[in-house]
Amino acid sequence: MTTILEIKEKITRFYGRNELYINPVLKFLLAFVTFLMINQNIGFMAGISRTPIALVLALVCSMIPVNGMIVLASAVIVADMYALSLEVCLVTLLLFVVLYLVYFRFAPKYGYDVVLMPICFKLRIPYVMPVGEGLLREGYSVFAVACGTVLFFFLDGVRQNAAALSNTTETEEAASKIAVVLNQLTGNKEMYLVLGVMVVTTMTVYIIRRLSIENAWGIAIIAGVLLDTVGLIAGYMLLGISGKTIGVLVGNAAAALIAFFMQFLFFNLDYSRTERLQFEDDEYFYYVKAVPKAVVSGTDKKITRFGGRDDKEERLTKKRFAEEMDIDEELLD
Amino acid sequence: MVNEERLRHMIKMAEFDENDGKQCKPMIQYARKDYVSLHLLISFVTGSMCYALLVGLWALCSADSLLAQLNQMDIRNALMSVLITYLLFMALYLGATCVVYNVKYTAGRRKVKRYYANVKKVNQMYEREERLRASENKDWE
Repeated sequence: MTTILEIKEKITRFYGRNELYINPVLKFLLAFVTFLMINQNIGFMAGISRTPIALVLALVCSMIPVNGMIVLASAVIVADMYALSLEVCLVTLLLFVVLYLVYFRFAPKYGYDVVLMPICFKLRIPYVMPVGEGLLREGYSVFAVACGTVLFFFLDGVRQNAAALSNTTETEEAASKIAVVLNQLTGNKEMYLVLGVMVVTTMTVYIIRRLSIENAWGIAIIAGVLLDTVGLIAGYMLLGISGKTIGVLVGNAAAALIAFFMQFLFFNLDYSRTERLQFEDDEYFYYVKAVPKAVVSGTDKKITRFGGRDDKEERLTKKRFAEEMDIDEELLD
Repeated sequence: MVNEERLRHMIKMAEFDENDGKQCKPMIQYARKDYVSLHLLISFVTGSMCYALLVGLWALCSADSLLAQLNQMDIRNALMSVLITYLLFMALYLGATCVVYNVKYTAGRRKVKRYYANVKKVNQMYEREERLRASENKDWE
């Protein structure tokens, strides 16, 4: 445990020293993964769905605020949808405006979460997001989770129906194309289920982790993961959607592991050293519970030797000491 | 010689200016009620736009059936249902605004309070230095 804490301290110090360089690199990687995923899944416009373009866009995103990344990614998606068909592009634009009106109004600081949500869906671990949000963010970050979820289901629906929505399909009329693409939102019961469960999980985790109880974070994680698992499995059974149980179980197990790692990084307390203090001032009595953080002091001590003797020579064993003193070794026990 | 304690307070002030200053500025200017009311007003506009877009999306989706039933449609009933859903949507949207901006105001005021505590301390330090400088005492150097 001490070794892990030491590693954590080292990582924290390293990040503190190099924050200026690490943040843009992380932002670049996130943007690059985002653009690659867009290209792989809905890269209908061949001109912009290329890795060099993704690299350049990711480089630009590493230098601008995260909301700039969202606007750029939206622009790429709209361009891809335009290549697929004009009707899909129109619906996507309208949907983006609606999502912007919700996201920028309520949770404009949580742009990373909107970007990470669809990525986590593709990696099959979306359950980590509501738990992570509840642990690390304010309650209103739930709007970012909701926007990311709607965005993923819409784009995934378009990807699955790309053949029917494509410009090359002459038989499809404009109105029916719009109906097909909008059905990905309005008729998608799975999306409503996942959205509802994610929102409830985020709020539950947030409320529990703020409670003044011991191991609040641990309890919040377990409650969140259980709620996610039970809610989704029961919902899928009610909706008659099969083949999702194993994915939900494995995804939630992974979410629990990641959430406990987050707890170790951001909220590692030593409850065995809890102190309860009581004091007063002119206006109030204070009953304070102080829980110390579990930290270890750094081990990067520099030992300077004077005299140039080797460490082995310096070590004074009981035997040598007895020889030098000319006494019996047993006397030293 | 650099006054380290004063520097520490000034760094905290600069951090606030850089990160939260712009966002917290309205919290200095407005009382909670006014701040939330202002955002409710903005939300009224954005919420109405949002609802109009959603209705537009729904109309696009059911354009065929809407055109087919246009002659037999009970316009009054249709408008009534649009109005009721609008009111429900706005109640949700404005309710969320009220909660979110109350929480933001509380957090922002806390930050502003800390900022002004730092300003006060730095001012006191400057005043003390001025007093010492004016006197014959050179210990402050």
